[in-house]
Amino acid sequence: MAMAMAIDDAPELDFSAYSTSTTSTTTTTTITTTDDEYGCNWNDWSPVVDWNTLSGGQDDFQDLIESMIDESGLQPARSAVNYQKGCNSPSTDMTMFTDEEASGDDVKGLRLVHLLMAAAEALTGVNRCHELARLILVRLKELVSPTDGSNMERLAAHFTEALQGLLEGAGGGHGKHLISGGPQRDDHHHHHQTDVLAAFQLMQDMSPYVKFGHFTANQAILEAVTQHRRVHIVDYDIMEGIQWASLMQALVSRKDGPVAPHLRITALSRGGNSRRSIGTIQETGRRLTAFAASIGQPFSFHQCRLDSDETFRPSSLKLVRGEALIFNCMLHLPHFSCRASESVASFLSGAKTLNPRLVTLVEEELGPVGDQGFVSRFIDSLHHYSALYDSLEAGFPMQCRARALVERVFLGPRIVGSLARIYRTRGDEDGGSWREWLGSTGFRPVDISFANHCQARLLLGLFNDGYRVEELASNRLVLGWKSRRLLSASIWTSPFDSDS
Amino acid sequence: MTIEEAEPNPHVLGWIEDSVSFFPSFLDDPYDAAEINCYNWWDPDQDFAHDLINTSAATSIASTITTADSSTAHLDTTPVTTSTATNPTAAAATTNHSEESVKQESSKKRKASLDNQDHTQRRNRSHGTIENSGSVDAKPGKPVLGGGKRPPGKKRGAVSSGNGGNGGNKEGRWAEQLLNPCAAAITANNLTRVQHLLYVLHELASPTGDPNHRLAFHGLRALTFHLSSSTSLPSSVPVTFSSAEPRFFQKSLLRFNESSPWFAFPSNIVNSSILQVLSEEPNKSRNLHILDIGVSHGAQWPTLLDGLSRRPGGPPPLVRLTVISPMGDSGDTDTPFSMAPPGHDVSRFLLGFAKTLNVNLQINRLDNLPLQGLNPQSIDASPDETLIVSAQFRLHHLSHGDRTEFLKSLRALSPKGVILTENNGDCACAGCVDFATGFSRRIEYLWRFLDSTSAAFKGRETEERRLMEGEAARALTSAAEMNEGRERWCERMREAGFLGEGLGEDTVDGGRALLRKHDGNWEMKVEEDGGSHCCVSLGWKGQPVSFCSLWKLSGGGK
Repeated sequence: MAMAMAIDDAPELDFSAYSTSTTSTTTTTTITTTDDEYGCNWNDWSPVVDWNTLSGGQDDFQDLIESMIDESGLQPARSAVNYQKGCNSPSTDMTMFTDEEASGDDVKGLRLVHLLMAAAEALTGVNRCHELARLILVRLKELVSPTDGSNMERLAAHFTEALQGLLEGAGGGHGKHLISGGPQRDDHHHHHQTDVLAAFQLMQDMSPYVKFGHFTANQAILEAVTQHRRVHIVDYDIMEGIQWASLMQALVSRKDGPVAPHLRITALSRGGNSRRSIGTIQETGRRLTAFAASIGQPFSFHQCRLDSDETFRPSSLKLVRGEALIFNCMLHLPHFSCRASESVASFLSGAKTLNPRLVTLVEEELGPVGDQGFVSRFIDSLHHYSALYDSLEAGFPMQCRARALVERVFLGPRIVGSLARIYRTRGDEDGGSWREWLGSTGFRPVDISFANHCQARLLLGLFNDGYRVEELASNRLVLGWKSRRLLSASIWTSPFDSDS
Repeated sequence: MTIEEAEPNPHVLGWIEDSVSFFPSFLDDPYDAAEINCYNWWDPDQDFAHDLINTSAATSIASTITTADSSTAHLDTTPVTTSTATNPTAAAATTNHSEESVKQESSKKRKASLDNQDHTQRRNRSHGTIENSGSVDAKPGKPVLGGGKRPPGKKRGAVSSGNGGNGGNKEGRWAEQLLNPCAAAITANNLTRVQHLLYVLHELASPTGDPNHRLAFHGLRALTFHLSSSTSLPSSVPVTFSSAEPRFFQKSLLRFNESSPWFAFPSNIVNSSILQVLSEEPNKSRNLHILDIGVSHGAQWPTLLDGLSRRPGGPPPLVRLTVISPMGDSGDTDTPFSMAPPGHDVSRFLLGFAKTLNVNLQINRLDNLPLQGLNPQSIDASPDETLIVSAQFRLHHLSHGDRTEFLKSLRALSPKGVILTENNGDCACAGCVDFATGFSRRIEYLWRFLDSTSAAFKGRETEERRLMEGEAARALTSAAEMNEGRERWCERMREAGFLGEGLGEDTVDGGRALLRKHDGNWEMKVEEDGGSHCCVSLGWKGQPVSFCSLWKLSGGGK
């Protein structure tokens, strides 16, 4: 397929170690064809397994964390009693949990969660003690490795790394960039491009996260521009541009609609850091232009440079009268970098001044805000990523190497970045989501169509049973794994009547 | 190491005299001295007196040694009596040696042995390092305090910021950041938080390593004990005094006193004060009677005996030492450091040693006398002797209400002097404060002990250190930890009819000299209470540890 070829343009690309097929990238939003394609590719990728037996244990693991969070839970009290019992018997005195083989992953997972929480508290709590944080991290590093062990162990390794970075940044003058959560951090430059592309591909196939965001946004865009001859999309973070390949395909294959409108995409580029995680913006533009040409989609590509502090200035956009203006803001897809809040705010406030037809927003779903600042946010993060890890494992239970790659290339740096942001704000600013921000600044919700909702459900049907989608507001779909909500897609329009 | 290697002097008696006359500095030597003490001097199976007599060039001393076996059923308040009666002629012969020449000789020896001392110390230090680098710490160049390497198989190779980091500033004291919140959560009945902190403590606690790991270990044990509401701690680890092997106990005590002033400093002040009180007595021929309510287990008395023997005019005709052992069923046995292992008996050694100094010593040990039962009869006091009471780290087990009463009963004994040594801290008992507050005070005490002991042992892991720390850790669970601050104790003494007596220049200087041989974080302070220097405080890294005070009867006599 054309899209696959477009990606294959990267000369060193080699998926053979992981996959026999590269065609599973989204090339269409037509429900019937995706279904066929996915079904086919899925079987190529993953042997048939009994999901239930495997996922059972994972649920338990999540329960552990949930029991930690639930302050009033009875289970911890019961465990405390067991603990005492263990300590009283002379033979097990003080060695209760050292027999790791006997106690199993759950107990070790619980130990790790306790240690991580304690480290987070020692780093920022009222009685913060960096020496204690340091020691806990030393202990954690002895217990975990980012490449070995259970989900929780690998996840804990990434959180340990992240905390270590915060500790070093907090202690000395180093790592300032890390705390500031600046734009340079946690990109994937230090990974080989082959690894990055392979990991991206794998993640697309292992989980619905990326497609959920793209599909939901694209469907809303398609529905909003049916009457328009010219469409202009301003994309906050274009990455590899795959979202637009699927949109183009949908535009040209509209059966009963008008001819495909002219599509113009303006990608925001970051000053001083033009190299992106997957190729450069120029490469993305070339790839998209070639793809558009190959399917007969009228297309033009532009860049708009952000200020050095990643502030967006609406005046730097070139606008054409009569085009439908769309602001697309993908924030927390698993392979994305963390962006500074100030930058996102400038983009969305800029959007408001330009009276766009549509604002599409995809962001991670946070848990309820606790009162402990960093520590609450930290635990919420742990919960969030543990669900993500579990879902990936359920998607590819037999593909440890594949998962390890995804974790190393995307999730590890994401964890570092998001903890740095939480640390910097001490959890204070992070309470609200961007959708709340949009609502409070006057953007009006746009209903998610029945078709869009159905599409999301069908997408999830291609993956593990553990995924679910909820319509939490008329303009908002949320993707979750089991009981944890992970990714939220919401659709908005300008506060003022559009001049369309 | 054999005796010959230790000291070129073939004259064994002379060697002992020299060593003993410099007990404090001699005790600086961390290795060989202790071994010699332990295996040569303090060996209960050795016929000590016999050896001395045979090797002594002085003369044959016809001695009658009645060593009362402590197991011979005098278990009521009847004193178990051990005494040496020095043959008068022999004594005379020794004195004949000419008092002056003895004095000269001994001062010469003292000088010589001082030099020797330096040598030995240096030699032993390097010896110690070598021994150590092989067995305990592989990096001799690195400061080891706080970074003591763990034995293989232990959970973690804990590294620490090292010497300075875990000291006075709270930042380095991480164990308290877990233990105190856990105690607070117990008091607040927040089980989730208790469980969380217990988990974390469990991960970081270790009986070895830097003082924080050790504190976490003992603290976790104590918290678990508290939560389980069980009546006894798990008996296995760590070892405490009452469960130690007697000879190992003796050796540990000596080695600790060599390395740390925790007890050596107060002992030094007590001994000097006794000499001070004696020197103020007009009648030099009165007997001396010392009432020992302490935790030194005899270790402090050789120095005093030596001091008495070199007193102008010679030792008192009779030196009586009455030792009040902690009695079962009283809180006294709960007091850390108060108990000795069954079978431990230093009388034999002290008597033999006294004989070499021509001090006529008599030791009574009262095993079944409660502190409240003290009166002139029970301690067999006689009106024509100089009675001096030394109470060290034992009285804080008395309930707050009984304390002044007890001090009054001490006054009723009409002692010429009372030396009171106590922990300088606040009460941790359930009657005074809630569990969390009390626990944090106990932890504070144990932290100072563990931190200073780590410095004393220079981070080395030894069994002796383990024993001392295990005993100190009893303070975390003991119901007897009813400390009071120095001011409160002094107030009580005055209420009971005592008057603070200024500590002599010699006493203060002696204490200062002793501290100079120890870690620089130790400090002493002469307290100026109303103009009199009746108190000297010992502190570690700016925090109070203990105090010593000297008292006389107010109004002079009864």
